[in-house]
Amino acid sequence: MFLLPKGNPLFENLAVGMLKLPEVMSKLSTGGFTGYASFVFQASTVILVFEAGKLVSVLHEEKNGNRQTGFEALSALSYLMVGTSGGILNVYKLSKDLTMCIHALLQGEILYKAQELRLIDIKALLEKVSSERMNGCLRIYTDERSAMIFYKDGAPLGFFHDGSQDIETSSTESQKIAGLPGAKIDLFSTQGVEHLMSLDLQEVVNIQNIWETAVAHQQAEINKLNAAREERERKSIASKLAELEEQVKTIVVESVGKVGRGIVDKELTDQGGNTCLLDENNVVKFLAGIERSAKLLISATSLKAMMEQLSKTITAAKSEL
Amino acid sequence: MDQFIELLSQINTFELIRVIFWGLAGAVSFYFSIGNARVWTSISIGFFLIFLGQAYAINPWIHYYKLSAFHNIVGTVAIVVITHGFLEYYVFCRTFEISGKKVAVYLFSLLILVAGGIFLFINPTPSPNTIRNFKIVENAIWVFLSIMNLELVRKIYVAIKDSPISKGFIAFGIVFFLIFLWRGSELYLQIFQWDKDWQDIIAVMTDEVSDIDSFADRVQLSTLVNKYAGFLSSLSVGGTFIYIYRLLK
Repeated sequence: MFLLPKGNPLFENLAVGMLKLPEVMSKLSTGGFTGYASFVFQASTVILVFEAGKLVSVLHEEKNGNRQTGFEALSALSYLMVGTSGGILNVYKLSKDLTMCIHALLQGEILYKAQELRLIDIKALLEKVSSERMNGCLRIYTDERSAMIFYKDGAPLGFFHDGSQDIETSSTESQKIAGLPGAKIDLFSTQGVEHLMSLDLQEVVNIQNIWETAVAHQQAEINKLNAAREERERKSIASKLAELEEQVKTIVVESVGKVGRGIVDKELTDQGGNTCLLDENNVVKFLAGIERSAKLLISATSLKAMMEQLSKTITAAKSEL
Repeated sequence: MDQFIELLSQINTFELIRVIFWGLAGAVSFYFSIGNARVWTSISIGFFLIFLGQAYAINPWIHYYKLSAFHNIVGTVAIVVITHGFLEYYVFCRTFEISGKKVAVYLFSLLILVAGGIFLFINPTPSPNTIRNFKIVENAIWVFLSIMNLELVRKIYVAIKDSPISKGFIAFGIVFFLIFLWRGSELYLQIFQWDKDWQDIIAVMTDEVSDIDSFADRVQLSTLVNKYAGFLSSLSVGGTFIYIYRLLK
């Protein structure tokens, strides 16, 4: 992911889990914010670039290098915001010119991409930037190091390199990196600030809808997961209850004979099925019913022993459910 | 008291023993009904009522015909209540439903007896012939319901045969078989007018000649069956309740 100059930080490390994208956008827009907001998640980063409150570019980049822009990036951001709780938001205020350069870096026209420095005439390239009064960003990097030079109307606005926090006026570090073996360049250009001012993604994209869709989708996912979990739990409980019912029947049959199976079935049906064994009051009613019927078939001593065994079995099974 | 002693001296010793045994069976069954479920209440109250029905033999006021007829009504109510109890037990074995209250059984039995009393009170004093008719009706109901109870007891036994109490129903089967013999033999004599009551009636009231001498063997056999089956049924009822009491203790 790009390292970007931090400029004037407005917010840093704000937990994304508590935020709503439309509200964030609304706040940044109504305040006429210029700069960028970066949403940093575990597996990806989303950069929103604002120019005087207008959303001029959006970039979603995953750790594996996949990139999305515009609607797709906003949509991805919405899903990330509603679906994860670990992201953070940083908001940095920048000058209009630098913001323009950031835009160029993120979504500008790519003039050179991964061009090996030794294969091009860098001097001629810089002259071209100057003569064509380019707005944009020249990125010089190796596998380990990286530096950027931001241009406005062909003149350097400042220098930024990894390890620094902000724009610097010295080109020393950039020159050092350019001198490293295997150094490459990317050159991105964009139109002027005036052109950017005519762009506002918020006018063409309904962020509220994107957000609501993401929330609804997330809710549906959660509901689906909950339903699956509940179904699993229900099946597990149903299986344990069936096991308990069988244990109860075995105990009653051992005491009163085969007719005991029918007695248990009848009493369970009267109490609304074997789920009654989960409820204290229903268990009392169920046991009272069993006792009333068994009293007609077995001795008081056997009845007492059977009822104790039933109570113990049901209590033990309930504690496991 | 003198009247009672005179009555005792008149009654057959065997009949007296039978009444005593029915008294014991009635006491055991009534005691059994106190702490048990409603279905047992019907059964045991019914057997207790048999004792009241049979107690005419020691009733010093039995010469009052209305009272004599009342004994027959009590006897009839007895088998109806017993059958009701076995029917409820059978329903329980099939559906496992137990409903109603014990007090309803007591009240229902009492109400029927009171209704029987009122019926006798508002009607003319029964003649010996009417008393005999009461006995015939009573015996017919007993015979019919004994057969029905034998079938009920069989079905109950089949339903609960591996339960601890199931053997008690075999005992009840024996009871109803003996009762069937006891009441059936008497009904047989009554139907063919070979019973003692009819002989007394025709001896005093009509010129009718009985054919009893032509069937002396049958009459003797039926009389014997009636005598011993009645005695044994009282014994079996007492024994059955004691047995069931032990099973359920």
